[in-house]
Amino acid sequence: MIAYVARRCVQGLVVVVLVSFLTFIEAHIMPGNPARAILGIHASPAQLRAFEIQNGYNRSLPIQYFDYIDRLLHLNLGFSYQLNQSVASLLNERLPATVILVGLAVVVALVLCVPVAITQAVRRNKPVDYAITGTAFALYSMPEFWLGLMLIMLFAEKLRLFPPVAPQGNVGQILTHPAGLVLPVATLALGSVASFSRYLRSSLLDNLAEDYVRTARAKGASRRGVLYRHVFRNALAPIITLIGLSLPGILSGALITETVFNYPGIGLLFWNSALSQDYAVMLGITIIVAIATVAGSLLADLLYAVMDPRVRYGEA
Amino acid sequence: MADAVIGAGVQADRPADDGHARPISPLRAAAYTMAANKGAMAGLAVIVIMVIFSFAGPFFYHSNQITTDLPAALHPPSAAHPLGTDNEGYDELGRLMLGGQTSLEVGVAAAVVATFIGVGYGAVSGFVGGLVDGLMMRAVDALLAIPTLFLLIYLFSVYQASPVLLILIIGLVAWLVPARLVRAETLSLRTREYVQAVQVMGGSRMRMITRHIIPNTIGTITVNATFQVADAILVLAGLSYLGLGIPPPAANWGGMLSTGINYVYAGDWWVIYPPGIAIVATVMAFNAVGDALRDVFDSRLRPR
Repeated sequence: MIAYVARRCVQGLVVVVLVSFLTFIEAHIMPGNPARAILGIHASPAQLRAFEIQNGYNRSLPIQYFDYIDRLLHLNLGFSYQLNQSVASLLNERLPATVILVGLAVVVALVLCVPVAITQAVRRNKPVDYAITGTAFALYSMPEFWLGLMLIMLFAEKLRLFPPVAPQGNVGQILTHPAGLVLPVATLALGSVASFSRYLRSSLLDNLAEDYVRTARAKGASRRGVLYRHVFRNALAPIITLIGLSLPGILSGALITETVFNYPGIGLLFWNSALSQDYAVMLGITIIVAIATVAGSLLADLLYAVMDPRVRYGEA
Repeated sequence: MADAVIGAGVQADRPADDGHARPISPLRAAAYTMAANKGAMAGLAVIVIMVIFSFAGPFFYHSNQITTDLPAALHPPSAAHPLGTDNEGYDELGRLMLGGQTSLEVGVAAAVVATFIGVGYGAVSGFVGGLVDGLMMRAVDALLAIPTLFLLIYLFSVYQASPVLLILIIGLVAWLVPARLVRAETLSLRTREYVQAVQVMGGSRMRMITRHIIPNTIGTITVNATFQVADAILVLAGLSYLGLGIPPPAANWGGMLSTGINYVYAGDWWVIYPPGIAIVATVMAFNAVGDALRDVFDSRLRPR
């Protein structure tokens, strides 16, 4: 187990280093050069030169890269010249909101996908299976911004159940207005139910065909008992890995959802930064999101290894 | 490999005198498996209809899609405009055809780009193995860690989008999953006897990869490419919503939908539902076909 954990952690570290390399490259494909991008088209050559020297852009690329890593390790993610605030403090304000949105959406999607998948697996190829699968697929196939808008039309405009705009302010203020969270979380969760339930359905079906099901049935266990006590437990474990793998996709969805509902998370911040060409903020968010994704999938793999011993002993 | 199993299964134990003495070819057996799947057939039908509608439609239904006609903007469906007009006075039905061309072209082309890069990268990584494989796969992990939309928005805030650039960039972002899948299959394929036989006979590595390994991953590749088309159409829609799609007068379903929803409060349903339903139907169709293809290629999933 320790060897497995150590190996996965080293792998995760290598990935993080490669991610830092990627964002460094991203920063250097900006049009013109960073000084021009930040100071704008009216800056004089002398100002540009001064900015370059001040920020180390006149040095060789490898040295700039090591400087960049050094700054990252000190949690210095750069400075937003548009918002006149450090990127780290911006993230500190906005990141918790996105964590709440994504976390709730994943939980809701999981809670919804379990009964859906069980119905699909038990009533395989029956009308119920087709109806549920069709609905889940349709939701998956809808562009998120349209799904969000339809939910607003139905639940905010017609039924007036929930507000059409997300609560503003910091985490405390968001959590004190839970009604405002319902539609953004639903928008993000409904798209994931299809992929989660499809995965769980095939995992359930694979397990239903295993010998242990027949053995348990032969020993007198009820169908229901076998399903919930044996099959369901075994089928659920792979879902943990799936959540880890789905994180980047869910975060992409969160960006759209936050834009639709004006939800004050990092997705909206990223989008607004793109509009104002605030590259420092975009790169800061990118690297934090990427590190979070790596950490998330690492955590998922480790949890899976804890739950299923075959993983840690099987793979050398 | 899957095909061989299908053929063997169908031929085995079949009495010679029941009128089915002729063995069924693997391809035909696969076609039967497909045909038995109603969802896949419906999906295939939708794809064919969408392609005919988008590419052949404009030859039969003529509408002005070049100049705007603001006095005729946002007219409800009528005899002159079966689906009404959009906010710039374009005929919605004709625009739906035009938008379908772009959406389908970008979707398919991006999937092709992604598949080519992914297959080559995955096959090399899995075949070479060892430290190189480890590093190549960690690079894939690193790119996967950056959510697609974040990368695309950054790139399109730097470069102005055009159809070709959209195809290239969506493809360049989407090759990671096929790379992983092909690498995993290559790992098992490279130890097979027939691949090792090539080595014994003095065949080059290049030959082993291109002639013997990649052709055997074709099932995985096809299934994934089908899903890639669906994903690319959705990504294009998302980008269009953010204003990073293809600039007008070009049209795509996602762009039409995202412009249309500005008029939702005015009750102008005809600028929203046609492109929205077109996207959902097409994406669902590609997913259904992909699912069925997986059943065809993966012998383990065949009904027991």
